[in-house]
Amino acid sequence: MSDNSIELRGVTKRFDNTVAVDDLSLTVKDDETYGFLGPNGAGKSTTISMLLDYQRPTEGTARVLGQDPQTDGAEVRAKIGNLPDQYSTYNKLSARRHLQFVIDTKGVDDDPERLLERVGLTDVINEPAGTFSQGMKQRLALAMALVGEPELLILDEPFTGLDPHGVRTVRDIVQAERERDTAVFFSSHILGQVELVCDRIGILHNGRLIAEGTLDELRANIDADEDASIEDIFVAYTHDSVRATTEGVR
Amino acid sequence: MRWFPLARKEFRGIVRYKGTWLFTLLLVYFGYQPSYVGYQGVGSDITIAYIQNFATLLLPLGVLLLSYRSIIKERRSGSLKIPLGLPLTRTDVLLGKIAGRTVGLGASVLVACLALGGYGLVRYGLFSPLRFVAVVLTTLLYVLVLVSIATAISAVTRRAITATVGVFAGLYLPLFAFWRSIVHWVNGMVTGAGANTATGGGVQTFAPGESYFLLLRLAPGNAYTVLTNWTLGVGNAARGYIGVIQQTQFASGMGGSTIVETALQDPPVYLHEAIGLLVLALWAVVPIGLAWLRFTRGDVL
Repeated sequence: MSDNSIELRGVTKRFDNTVAVDDLSLTVKDDETYGFLGPNGAGKSTTISMLLDYQRPTEGTARVLGQDPQTDGAEVRAKIGNLPDQYSTYNKLSARRHLQFVIDTKGVDDDPERLLERVGLTDVINEPAGTFSQGMKQRLALAMALVGEPELLILDEPFTGLDPHGVRTVRDIVQAERERDTAVFFSSHILGQVELVCDRIGILHNGRLIAEGTLDELRANIDADEDASIEDIFVAYTHDSVRATTEGVR
Repeated sequence: MRWFPLARKEFRGIVRYKGTWLFTLLLVYFGYQPSYVGYQGVGSDITIAYIQNFATLLLPLGVLLLSYRSIIKERRSGSLKIPLGLPLTRTDVLLGKIAGRTVGLGASVLVACLALGGYGLVRYGLFSPLRFVAVVLTTLLYVLVLVSIATAISAVTRRAITATVGVFAGLYLPLFAFWRSIVHWVNGMVTGAGANTATGGGVQTFAPGESYFLLLRLAPGNAYTVLTNWTLGVGNAARGYIGVIQQTQFASGMGGSTIVETALQDPPVYLHEAIGLLVLALWAVVPIGLAWLRFTRGDVL
């Protein structure tokens, strides 16, 4: 058993002429909650795609729970709970059937009802997902991610489309999973939520990890005030980086 | 069998889709073609031949239509991220899709076969149960072949429009609708022999060679027709059973025969009807095999 849930070494992902992820090295320990921050298009989802083997690195290696997602993808994903970004549920399938499908495929015997209770969806358990609002779909996907007590939760933009209650639910669940010693890796561009739940934060910009550390460490690095919000920090880091790149071009 | 739940989900989706059962009705409607010539040729087994009627053009069109979007649609919408994020390999995803769809569409085709069988039983009396079972099984194998080909196209295309154009212009039209004309044309180009063309010296009889026969039955639909004609016992030919009966019974002076036994003195082994099974097997395996190579390498989304 590896001590690290996620280990990326020099991972680069190129699409035709664009570099989505650029020489990314990153480690998430097996009991850590890691917030993966960055503006839209920074390469967060691409990175997560490589963890799940939706996509494969052009260069570098990725190890998830000690295994290579490219060769042992199914085994790796058996131990992962995954909430993808820009996914779609099956419109005609009920919430219960969605969960039953995941439960059966993972070969565990969780109770769909209990899982939906955790995300607050029990009242629509037999309704087809096609009738759900964006927030309800997001809750459903979160319940699916929780099937089989995963060792690692990968949540890609989990707050998308959620109302304040939903945001609170996600945060509570992340908190509960943390206490269960699940590693959590989640990406977000909604900054306020990240500081509330994360042990460590990495800031991705233009495919590069431009800063990494605890909130305090990040603050210290830019000589920010003690009460500098994560938003200030984020802007400071990405702004510098933007300036650096534009100057570099000139 | 990690893919079993996925197959079951696919299956449920298909049998709950109204279009699937509308398809069954259309199959029955197109299959039921009473024919004096047909009845003279095969007697009460004409009931079995009704299955071949619907399997010629409508079955491939329907199965392809109901299957070619299975992966590309989910890839575009993003729901493919669900199975691919689970403990399933990419191979599992292809297998689950094909298995679930084949059983689902197979069920709809089976119902059509049974409906025609039931009607025929009352109308024409008892047919050969063995032949009926053989033709039904061949038809279900044909469904598997079609689902497999459609899934292959769905797995390798990145845009829905490419899949649509590919499945019609690249597959259905040449291979199912116009294969005979294409083979005819190619044969004419190569051998210089047109089909019953009027020449200066009168009408030139169309006398195709072995390669013509082979080429004709390499298309999956024709391989199916050869197999079912074999079961019906009408003759070794890659055309609908009524046409074959017409040629054997009312052998017209016009044109050469499309039946192997009458056209060729000493037919080669590869023109044996059983080879049709091999042809179908290849169609079931080769396209999806090539798609598998592509689908399991590189990025899937």
